[in-house]
Amino acid sequence: MTKLNPDQINVILATDCGSTTTKAILIQKIDGQYRQTFRGEAPTTVEQPVADVTVGVVNAATEVGELAGRRLVDESGKIIRPAKPASDGQPPEGCDIYISTSSAGGGLQMLVTGVVREMTAASAKRAALGAGAIVMDTIASNDRRKPHEQIQRIRELRPDMILMAGGTDGGTVEHVVQIAELIAPAKPQPRFGSGYRMPVIYAGNKEAAKYVDETFDESVELTVVENIRPVLERENLGPARDQIHDVFLEHVMAHAPGYDKLIDWTDAPIMPTPGAVGDILQEIAKARGINVVGVDIGGATTDMFSVFDGPDGEPVFNRTVSANLGMSYSISNVCAEAGMPSVLRWVHFDMDERELRNRVKNKMIRPTTIPQTLEALVFEQAVSREALRLAYIQHREFATTLKGVQQQRTVGDTFAQQKSGQSIVDNMKLDLMVASGGVLSHAPRMEQTASMLIDAFEPEGITELAKDSIFMMPHLGVLASVHPQAALEVFEKDCLIYLGTCVAAKGRSKPGKRCFTYEITGSTLNERGEMSFGEVRLFPLGLGETARIVVEPARGFDLGNGPGKRVEREVRGGTVGLILDARGRPLIPPEDRAECRRTVKEWSESLKLYEG
Amino acid sequence: MDRSFDILHFAFLSFQSSVVTRVNVAFGVALVSMLMCHPVLAQSSPQSVTDLVAKDHPNDVGTTLDVSWSLSPDDDPDADPPAVSTYHILRKREGDAEFTKVGEVPLQSTSFTDKNVERKQAYLYQVVAVGPGGESAAVTTTEAATPVMEWFRTDRGWLAVFVLLICTAVTTFIVIAKSGRELYIRNIPGLEAVDEAVGRATEMGRACLFVPGIQDINDIQTVAGITVLSRVASLTAEYGARLEVPTARSLVMTTARETVEASYLAEGRPDAYRKDDIYYLTDEQFGYAAAVTGTITREKPAACFYMGTFYAESLLLAETANGVGAIQVAGTAEPAQLPFFVAACDYTLIGEEFFAASAYLSGEPIQLGSLRGQDVGKLLVAALVLIGCGVATWGSVAANTELVGGEMAASLMSFLQDNVLGSKGFLP
Repeated sequence: MTKLNPDQINVILATDCGSTTTKAILIQKIDGQYRQTFRGEAPTTVEQPVADVTVGVVNAATEVGELAGRRLVDESGKIIRPAKPASDGQPPEGCDIYISTSSAGGGLQMLVTGVVREMTAASAKRAALGAGAIVMDTIASNDRRKPHEQIQRIRELRPDMILMAGGTDGGTVEHVVQIAELIAPAKPQPRFGSGYRMPVIYAGNKEAAKYVDETFDESVELTVVENIRPVLERENLGPARDQIHDVFLEHVMAHAPGYDKLIDWTDAPIMPTPGAVGDILQEIAKARGINVVGVDIGGATTDMFSVFDGPDGEPVFNRTVSANLGMSYSISNVCAEAGMPSVLRWVHFDMDERELRNRVKNKMIRPTTIPQTLEALVFEQAVSREALRLAYIQHREFATTLKGVQQQRTVGDTFAQQKSGQSIVDNMKLDLMVASGGVLSHAPRMEQTASMLIDAFEPEGITELAKDSIFMMPHLGVLASVHPQAALEVFEKDCLIYLGTCVAAKGRSKPGKRCFTYEITGSTLNERGEMSFGEVRLFPLGLGETARIVVEPARGFDLGNGPGKRVEREVRGGTVGLILDARGRPLIPPEDRAECRRTVKEWSESLKLYEG
Repeated sequence: MDRSFDILHFAFLSFQSSVVTRVNVAFGVALVSMLMCHPVLAQSSPQSVTDLVAKDHPNDVGTTLDVSWSLSPDDDPDADPPAVSTYHILRKREGDAEFTKVGEVPLQSTSFTDKNVERKQAYLYQVVAVGPGGESAAVTTTEAATPVMEWFRTDRGWLAVFVLLICTAVTTFIVIAKSGRELYIRNIPGLEAVDEAVGRATEMGRACLFVPGIQDINDIQTVAGITVLSRVASLTAEYGARLEVPTARSLVMTTARETVEASYLAEGRPDAYRKDDIYYLTDEQFGYAAAVTGTITREKPAACFYMGTFYAESLLLAETANGVGAIQVAGTAEPAQLPFFVAACDYTLIGEEFFAASAYLSGEPIQLGSLRGQDVGKLLVAALVLIGCGVATWGSVAANTELVGGEMAASLMSFLQDNVLGSKGFLP
């Protein structure tokens, strides 16, 4: 891979090799600023008969090149580098760097192990998820499975690699070696390349490393990195995550069809798609000093990302994959887990439950169909609210402070002893929500996307809402590792479509009681008034516009400065506008079905969800 | 008697002097006449009591009879000296020949409670007024009295109401819990932290130390501590961590061994149970504290649990373990030790939380239902206290100002004091 001076990078080609589609985007420096200019896509060609991922990449790049009027692929089917301006009547050609992510073939699938499920095993899971993997299972000493069941499970799975953690430095050796003794006889087989050895990354007690090494035979390729929890008070995920990326490239990708060529082509290491999304969110959170939540809702799974300030004030990144929450393959599970009444509470007209069940099953067996009627659309968006809500609950439970940490107390804590392992996800501190995934990105109206986000995540205080226009975040995540400035510029200008800002009060009261008063001043929007509990209101505030809002909450309601305390902030407009939400938190639609329908109808009319 | 003697002596001397000194003869005659008219000197037996009745004592188990009468007409406390000084009470079984004395009461008494009678046996009573002039004629009850056992004490009606309410609450919540409905029990971080503490010990490859207090097994706090020990042992068995239990009483050691062994067995890890890790040290308070402190310093356990009765050794143990970086969970009902535990430990179970541990940890419907039922009882008492305070304040303010309802508050207060809180209610 050639190292280029960032200032000399003017044209960037980025691809994301998904399971079904390879998406390519072109980023160019225009008037001193990086902008995403063209995009193209082509079917992914990992599977037979082609069995070469680069064919799909070339096809997608060719399409982008044709749209851009720039020759990106030469006659031999390689990406042209470096970029050359137009000359002698020839169009410009090539790009300065080419980068790629990959989730083809199911992405990176891992098995993680640890000693205690809530401690080192949880840290190992965080490292694997943060690196963009799908965690197939977590083996721990206290997972309540018998050793033969654990061995059976390891044999059944065919992970791309195994991450072993356990024990603090100087801590338990016995438990760590016991886990190794489960893996060794199970002889797990890697998913790709039957001829190569199973990569195992050991990131546990350093004193146990040699015993772990002795336990494995030559069927395992063991790599030892720094302990993921050198002491229980601190997590050290970096070395394990870097090693996962390295092993992903050297072992997993190298054995996937055509990836050896692709690795040679790219100017930055190929990253697993979710890992790249996590990187760009961390980058934006760091650059703007904000807390961010990102979501990608797919057909089978829902990925949730968050960057929140930890107990020490440092931003902490978390990612979860809700394997059974999705909008097509997993839609039945969403309905079963949430319950049909929970789904129906977001539907503002009468629906026959039997018909709904038929819709659910149809969507499951025909995952690519899109809603043809208003009823189908409303129902699908109701399911998405519940899928997102459940995925967010799982994420909050996972994104916690570290467990097993000694607490310092004073006598004043007698009646207020907080247990450790509290969620760091705090909706009141949330500044930006980024949505992606079919049902959110391709909703007919942006208002619907905003409404789904607000209803499912229940943001509190003042929160900006945005969506990823063309699921560009993975590309930008890799770009951030090469050229952070370009990545951030494109992220702000082209990747995110700002929907607007949600101003929501935390607390509950009786319908009709005063919730908060507001005064909005801006170049295009000047309003003042009062919001009653149960109301939601939409004000037009266009893209690029800002306004100053002063909110005086009623007693018992909080907008960020404490109950009843005044809040004054500048808010950003968007394609939807400014949403004032006085429906209270937690958001609970009425239990009575008729009353619920009436209320939800009012909300949808206020937000202009299904007008025209 | 002494006073009467003094008077007679004085009279005799005066008479003697009147013989010697003729001048005072007339005076002496007059004095003797006066003295001869004094009641003491003119002593006669007091008159008998009247209206003597004996009857069964109400609301008892049938071993008491109440005897009552009207005072003897000579019973005058202002008389000097009084004609009646005591009343003697005599008793005989119906059919017996003679009465025997069973007690006496001072003048002006009109009743006597005989607490030494046999159930269903008829008795006759006599009362005799006794004074300086002798005894009155004995008066005998006309009807025999028979002590009977009552099944219900009607005088403790309010207590019955409260007991019924609390029992109903306990039963109802047990039924609710058994029906499968989840009963909300407030989170007790100290108990949830037990998992975390054992986890820490496992990750760090160190032992868990459980100290069950310094009292014997007959102490309720030690029993509550053993309940928590059961949970800790289950977790150490599951996690594969080592558990050490030093005890200050031999019986506690035996109980702890059986509890831990049962927990290991229940977790399917009888092989991991180590009897020798549960040992007796000494009954001596500070000898025990010194030995445990030494263990903590040497072995550096990663998790320490203090569950039971603690005194001065609480801070010694907790500070030492804090120094070696252990997660500590304490539980005691000793108010004086709680601040030390709170300051030095990671989590502390306070009084009631400690006793609720058993229900909280087991999640059994009967225990959970009982816990909730008891909470209803506590709420009831708290409500009564608040109502009482409110009414008393209202009555007090109304008495000094023109606030309306003062009389009503006063009567409500006296009703509460006499009935709900008095002898008919909570107080015996």
